[in-house]
Amino acid sequence: MLQKFIGPFREFGLGVGLLYSIDRVLQGLSSGLRLYAYEIMVQPITDRPLLPARLRKRLEIREIKQGDPEVQLMPARPEIRESRFKQNAICLGAFQNGQFIGYIWFCFRAYDEDEVRCTFVLHPEPESVFDFDLYIFPEHRLGLAFVGIWSGANEFLSARGIKYTYSRLTRFNVASARAHEHLGWKQVGAAVFLQAWRVELMAATIFPYVHVSFTRNNRARLNLHPHALRRSGA
Amino acid sequence: MSTELELLREYIRNETGYDGELDADADLLEGKILDSFNIVELAMFIQDRFEIELEAEDLVRANLSRLSSMLALIERKKAARTS
Repeated sequence: MLQKFIGPFREFGLGVGLLYSIDRVLQGLSSGLRLYAYEIMVQPITDRPLLPARLRKRLEIREIKQGDPEVQLMPARPEIRESRFKQNAICLGAFQNGQFIGYIWFCFRAYDEDEVRCTFVLHPEPESVFDFDLYIFPEHRLGLAFVGIWSGANEFLSARGIKYTYSRLTRFNVASARAHEHLGWKQVGAAVFLQAWRVELMAATIFPYVHVSFTRNNRARLNLHPHALRRSGA
Repeated sequence: MSTELELLREYIRNETGYDGELDADADLLEGKILDSFNIVELAMFIQDRFEIELEAEDLVRANLSRLSSMLALIERKKAARTS
């Protein structure tokens, strides 16, 4: 029992551990109560290959389009997949020896978050994308897939003049944060969303800092800029 | 204790900053000492340092999660090179 209580604090630290514990308590009280804690990150897109040529040769990265058979293999609800294509998001799939091993999604200009009522607006618009839902099929995790997907995504995006990709990371996902550190990402801001049935309250480190929403269509708009990367010289 | 084992331990400590025990049979992925990027970098180090060639298929959990399995992979590749 004590281990269950102190586990989150040991794994995430005091502040994030507390947020995690509050979310667990809220979920236990009602399915209409949730707390989401995000870090918003920016990562440079580079044309430098992340994998040596020898390891890249059997790995193919290509765009997956609406209606392709791979879409049915994605572990997301059909309406979520449809909403992504409706947002004009693009999906890049990774194939090793022809086998579908993982994928990543990108949005241009803005990204409508599907967990909370928030739209991330990307700046500078022609050079920015938002990446989300990087998924690697379980049997291919901790192999080449993660680095391979990013290697291919960098190549695809840099060829289209993209210099920055933003993402939001749930603060409870330590493993993902660690893996992305290798890609040179920097924090743009943080946001916490409290959902209480129909009401959603946001507190963020980015303008407008606080937002209250009573309806689905009333979304917070967070403008994202890559200043953190420029300050670090990336 | 083999030289290869010590070289791998030293590399992992230098690259990850991990300063605890590195038991030959401990699962370094499960223990979150190595991640996906470390695995690729470690594979490059193994190729260069032990003069063997690794294929994409070699970079799987079964070969790279434990120091003992890395040593077995190096031995197999060395044997294949000389055969």
